[in-house]
Amino acid sequence: MSSYYTPSSILTDAQKTPLTFDLLLPHLSPLNNSTPITPGTRLDLPLWLAEMLAVSKPAGPGSASLATLDMPAALGGKVMNALRADPKSVDVRAQAQWFYGLGERMLELFEEEEVVEVLTETFKARALEIADKAQNTRTVQQGDGSSDFMNTLDEDERQRKYSEQPTMAAIP
Amino acid sequence: MALPLPPGLTASEVGFLCEMELVTVIPRQRLEGLELLGGPTQPLNPPFPTPLPLWLALLLKKQKRANINPPAWLSVDGLSHIHDFETDTRTAEVFSPSQALPPPAGVRHGYEDYLSSDVIDFAPPFLANSSTTGAQADALPYHWLEVGHLLLTHAADDFDDPEGVRRLLRDLREVRMSKLRKGFKVLDAGAGVKLNGVGGMEIAEVRGFVGGMVDGLRKINRSREESRREREAEDRENGLGGSSYQDDEDDMQL
Repeated sequence: MSSYYTPSSILTDAQKTPLTFDLLLPHLSPLNNSTPITPGTRLDLPLWLAEMLAVSKPAGPGSASLATLDMPAALGGKVMNALRADPKSVDVRAQAQWFYGLGERMLELFEEEEVVEVLTETFKARALEIADKAQNTRTVQQGDGSSDFMNTLDEDERQRKYSEQPTMAAIP
Repeated sequence: MALPLPPGLTASEVGFLCEMELVTVIPRQRLEGLELLGGPTQPLNPPFPTPLPLWLALLLKKQKRANINPPAWLSVDGLSHIHDFETDTRTAEVFSPSQALPPPAGVRHGYEDYLSSDVIDFAPPFLANSSTTGAQADALPYHWLEVGHLLLTHAADDFDDPEGVRRLLRDLREVRMSKLRKGFKVLDAGAGVKLNGVGGMEIAEVRGFVGGMVDGLRKINRSREESRREREAEDRENGLGGSSYQDDEDDMQL
């Protein structure tokens, strides 16, 4: 599923994440609307670019790395607390279109036991809810309040919902 | 990704597979045995009941050349017995058992009857007598939902009480689905659900959900899993023991 050529994995990598630069980088000014990048500049960059900048180090002994990566707001404390309170009431799609994909990528870079815990619980609770909603196609079509939850699904959840529906519809 | 189909079989594919099951027909016309790829069929001699593949039986039924004798479990008595088993509080945790397997044939001597063209060898989940009149009355075969649905749709007039059977089938499906759903609550990156006695259509129905869920959980837990493995590898190198075998189960793709 997460192969190099899959559109969803390319789009997952294109999600923005905040990055703080630690060095003066005149040649990277195109990233910052042609104003030079100074130490302390914060930019929202696509994940694939931010990751490369954060792990690369300029040549020379004892130099710091170019930039440090921060947790995106979608995985910040506020969202985590909201998810811990009630996974189903959070508009996951508004946080990030590929919310779980973003989580996976960030967890590869950061060791955050707590985020893993919250994401796992969220994923489970929401998956069961989605299965319930997907079973009952009629109410989804009529949109009697249940569509509110369906609008908050992230892309991955949306695809799983569609993969569950055809079987349901074919059975008497 | 190119094919917008979910992994596994679709409902109509499962329905197609179940047409391999033998059912008992009562012919109204004579028909010589047919030489088919899956093996020859028995000649039809009215009015003696004969086992035929479901697809052929349905064809003859449509042409009004035969009647289908529904299997013993597909009756109000059989289904209500199974329904009672499913809803009993003592057996609320398990699914009703599937049909008994035939006794093992043992080692065959010689090659003459292995894959020969005049015997049909059935392999599980296809059991030779699961949907004929010789079937057990108190156990569901693997293709219960599909066979039941096809027979009720195309041969409803061969049932004593088609409406009752249809109602019981629907009840049974809902009871068993709710049991399956209860099992999903314990799903985890490494956990499993016991699916003994679950039918083909039910598996096809939940495969997308279970596969997607376990896969997603596995992805989220990957970083934790990797750090755990690194720790274990370090422990092994330091001679602190740890688990001696390589734990490869989490790499499994669904």
